[in-house]
Amino acid sequence: MTPFELQLRRDLSLGWAGRGDMLVVLGFFLIIITLFPLALGPDPVQLRIISVPVIWVAAMLASLAGFTRIFADDVRCGWVDQVALSPMPLPVYALAKAVGHWVLSALPIIVATPLMALLLNLGPGQLVPMMLALVLGTAALTLLGVIGAALTEGARGGGGLMALLVLPPAMPVLIFGALASTPEDGRVITPHLMLLGAVLAVLLAIAPFITAAALAESESENGG
Amino acid sequence: MFDYLANPTRFMRIADFLFWPLALLAGGLIAAGLYFGLLDSPPDYQQGDTVRIMYVHVPAAWLATLGYVALGLCGLFYVVWRHPLADIALRAMAPAGAMFAFLTLVTGAFWGKPMWGAWWVWDARLTSMLILFFFYLGVIALANGFDQPERGSRPAALLALVGLVNVPIVKFSVDWWNTLHQPASLLRSGGVSIDQTMLVPLLLMLAGMHLYFAVIVILRMRALLAERRITSLLLRQAASGSRS
Repeated sequence: MTPFELQLRRDLSLGWAGRGDMLVVLGFFLIIITLFPLALGPDPVQLRIISVPVIWVAAMLASLAGFTRIFADDVRCGWVDQVALSPMPLPVYALAKAVGHWVLSALPIIVATPLMALLLNLGPGQLVPMMLALVLGTAALTLLGVIGAALTEGARGGGGLMALLVLPPAMPVLIFGALASTPEDGRVITPHLMLLGAVLAVLLAIAPFITAAALAESESENGG
Repeated sequence: MFDYLANPTRFMRIADFLFWPLALLAGGLIAAGLYFGLLDSPPDYQQGDTVRIMYVHVPAAWLATLGYVALGLCGLFYVVWRHPLADIALRAMAPAGAMFAFLTLVTGAFWGKPMWGAWWVWDARLTSMLILFFFYLGVIALANGFDQPERGSRPAALLALVGLVNVPIVKFSVDWWNTLHQPASLLRSGGVSIDQTMLVPLLLMLAGMHLYFAVIVILRMRALLAERRITSLLLRQAASGSRS
């Protein structure tokens, strides 16, 4: 078993042990969605217009809520120090954390999306492109969130700071994601989906290294 | 040259020496620019007197973008060479740049209301400038987000570096996308497309406000360096006090 697989397995089993956290993220997602029909009124025509943007924004905010804690336990119990001493490179560790976090918190959001589509009266034929776009979009967002979590590790007031750091660079994800969720000609693979994939590919290449650079810093200052 | 300026004491001496000449020059240029811009230049044939907002708006926008490039370079210097002065410069520049980005957005809104009929439109250039402003806020918040100030230095430097990708988008958004915002009239292929009566106050303001930016940064760097010195002095005093 490679170190990557070991780290991923550890994160997944730890996450499964605390599966209540997953439900909290899902509950947050559901509540944000519920607020809109309450504020806008129950008119199904109007709800259909806002359904795609609202689901995207709610998915982003619900993901954001989980980012602050990604490295907190690992730093406190000395796991990051051990990784830094071990032969496993820190970028590999960062990538494994990102994959684990995506499975634990983004995948439930994607699985719950059909229910939200029902609540907001999403147009027929939009669910498949939307879920596909959400898979790529949440993956890109998680990579940004891992960078943000590493940068803010040990900082005061995590939540607002995290939003200020992660949301501005996440705007292309939102733009391309929302466009890919509303294909005009009914095709599933649109140019916007490809652009979203390009954003994800770039982040996949650079995010583990930026995260490792930020973690190396907090690790050296905690240990010193 | 970087090695020569790397010593904070030497830097402080040079900065002290340059401070007043720069401040006076900046004040003089801005005063002249405002005189020509507000009083001694013709109103635009289409825009009327609102064109005078440009004399503040354009230099502020240049400084917001250029300031971010400088911020990113400081981030690079800090991440790669761990230069303490790069950290000080980054902390000094970030609020100054944020102020100019804010000024760009506000003056743009004042101009947009009479000209476009709206304070704000979701146009590519306006949006990318707003995102640049958010990046400034993120750098400031991250640099000051830790209980020990030094711990914020590297995260802020990394973020400043990452945010550099937005700068070309701001600069070229008016060329890439067909937006409501007018295209560049100074730095463009085919030469300057602006009449001389308006070009003179604009250039005066550009030079004056760039020097003003330098003056603010020097002022803030001096304050930050002094603050660090006080902290280390207090720490040393406390250490010797506890020993005796």
